[in-house]
Amino acid sequence: MTPSEKTTTMAHASRVPWLTLRRKEALEAWLFVSPTLIGFVIFFLGPLIAVGLYSLTEWNLLSQESTFVGVANFRDALTVNPDFWHVVRNSALFALGLVPMNMALALMLAIALSRPFFGVVFFRTIFFAPVITSAVAWAIVWKFLLQGEAGAVNQLLASIGIDGPNWLREPNWAMFAVIVTRVIKMVGLNMILYIAALQAIPRDYEQAAQLEGASRWQVFHMVIWPLLAPTTLIIMVITTIGSFKVFDHIYLMTGGGPENGTLVLAYYIYQQGFEFFNIGYASALAIIMFVIVLALTIVQLILRQKGSG
Amino acid sequence: MFKTRLTAAALLGASFLVSPAVAQELRFTVWTGNDAHLNMLNSIGDSFKATHPDVTVTFETIPAGDYIQKLTFQLAGGTPPDLGWMFENSMPTFVKAGVLEELTSTLAATEGYDLDDFSKPAMALWSTDGAVYGVPFSTSPFMMFFNKDMFDAAGLEDPLTLADKGEWDMAKFREVSAALAAANEGKWGFEFKDGQGYDSRIMHAIMPPIRVYGGNAFDNGECGFEKPEAIAAVTQLHEMIFKDGSIVPPGEQGDFFSGSSAMTINQISRASKMPGAGFNWGIAPLPTGPAGASPVIGQAGLVVFAKSKNPELAKEFIAHMTNADNVAVMAQFFPPARKSVLNSDAFTNANALIPAAQMENVKAAIANGQVLPSHEKTPQIEAAMKPRFDALWKADANVEEALKAVCAAIQPQL
Repeated sequence: MTPSEKTTTMAHASRVPWLTLRRKEALEAWLFVSPTLIGFVIFFLGPLIAVGLYSLTEWNLLSQESTFVGVANFRDALTVNPDFWHVVRNSALFALGLVPMNMALALMLAIALSRPFFGVVFFRTIFFAPVITSAVAWAIVWKFLLQGEAGAVNQLLASIGIDGPNWLREPNWAMFAVIVTRVIKMVGLNMILYIAALQAIPRDYEQAAQLEGASRWQVFHMVIWPLLAPTTLIIMVITTIGSFKVFDHIYLMTGGGPENGTLVLAYYIYQQGFEFFNIGYASALAIIMFVIVLALTIVQLILRQKGSG
Repeated sequence: MFKTRLTAAALLGASFLVSPAVAQELRFTVWTGNDAHLNMLNSIGDSFKATHPDVTVTFETIPAGDYIQKLTFQLAGGTPPDLGWMFENSMPTFVKAGVLEELTSTLAATEGYDLDDFSKPAMALWSTDGAVYGVPFSTSPFMMFFNKDMFDAAGLEDPLTLADKGEWDMAKFREVSAALAAANEGKWGFEFKDGQGYDSRIMHAIMPPIRVYGGNAFDNGECGFEKPEAIAAVTQLHEMIFKDGSIVPPGEQGDFFSGSSAMTINQISRASKMPGAGFNWGIAPLPTGPAGASPVIGQAGLVVFAKSKNPELAKEFIAHMTNADNVAVMAQFFPPARKSVLNSDAFTNANALIPAAQMENVKAAIANGQVLPSHEKTPQIEAAMKPRFDALWKADANVEEALKAVCAAIQPQL
């Protein structure tokens, strides 16, 4: 390169602005996502990393004594502590009971309430109202209704000759009661999601199937249900995650009892962390719960992909 | 010019030297939000200015249900209060964690304080090996509240009359409870404290009978639930619930204060609910048992936190707040542990809702009462106990086996 060529190249380089169109677009993109990104780092990623670090310690919140124990908390939970597998079993039971019941009921309500008819808004409001009702008020009312002999539910059952159980004092019935009352409280949310999905399906598909002679069941089974699959997957994932994270409902309805029959993982984490002040152990349990929920979500996604394939 | 600047600097420096003491604040956490309580506490805070004119005491309310958690987070999070109220069952945990200041020397050095004026049983929970870590401000005995109208309607002598005659024992308690339940369909003879005897107040429900039978929950690292005295006491309760149908059973609500039960055990602070109850009522001592009388007291105390910015000042405020004059002021709401105040006419007449004759029973219970068993691992013990007691409170449960299971569950924590 001759000196004159070198000078020309340098002059050209100095004329190129730093803020190229590509850089400008990238900067704009970062600026647009930065509010969310900052919030994500501060309120999610930071605490998640902190919980990961805490889980490797034996840390008493009250005395502030902290010792690094490696994976001892995980080992204790998974191989020593009999309560851990009991609460995992309870969480799984809760999810297995709640998710199908919630989704089936939500779909039925959505089908009934997706088409316009006189009073449809009223009924949608009625079924959605429990979602925005205070969890405390909900629990107080249901505890009152589910009393032993004097409860309204058992009085109603007695009027048709059924001797109802002491709902919240017998472990199996208590689990059933907290699942059902939770379903009634939260079903409105999934109902709204299903209504939105149903309304997004063009009526042409349904009418075309009917013209071909499909029955109502065939229309639902062969046309509607496959088109609802993406929504169903989303609902299944968020309902499963929500059911593993359930805390307030259990805390208020049964306190984990009777006989630890409704002691679920989220409540057990709360107990270890905020009643016994074992923050290290509670953090390890939280990490395990995170892994369980993540694994369930991945399994659901894989099943969905296989189904669609 | 230089001279002028030097003079100004000297004057400024001198002004710092002669300026009044810097104002100080003491943060004091409490779990009451009651205006009357807070007004009284603020008046005691104001009276501290007589000796400490630059000190302001600020009372901060944390609801009772969240108190220990929020307090712990404040202590751990670098925003500790200077001093606060403390629950009796949390005290051993806080002492063991080393987060409380020792108060002994400050109380001993305070002129006219007289620590010996506090009854020894009342101080037991707040002292460890002679070192005082807290001072009880409320020493409230468990009393038997009764619905006099229900007793009269059933033609029964009420617990106060029976106690005066020396006939108020566990056998009589069972007898009248059954008679009252039989006479009032859909109602019960007795309700555990605040209707929570099967859940959050298990110890409140079972300890009064166990004590009068001569037993205890645990002592010196040994579980007492499986001993014959405790088994006998809990068996009586179990039979009253499931055979006699005289105690509100698990899963039912039978609120005493709305007239659904004829008796309940509670503390005299609950007398404030009685004017709206709509029936005649009274309070009596707890029934005696094979081991005689054994009153139970519930306490709350004052402590200084080790992370306080002004620990010495906070200790001085506790000495001020629990001197004889201020304990007398607080006695209108909180029964005192100071003998001089307890034995005064002022305390006898302090509660307008409770007649003086019945207050004498309250005073006797405070003087002779014992606190509920406490342990540094109380939360873990209660969590371990709860499912085993759930199994006990069933009609077909074997009481002895269930209590052995309770002991097996809590022994590792003791």
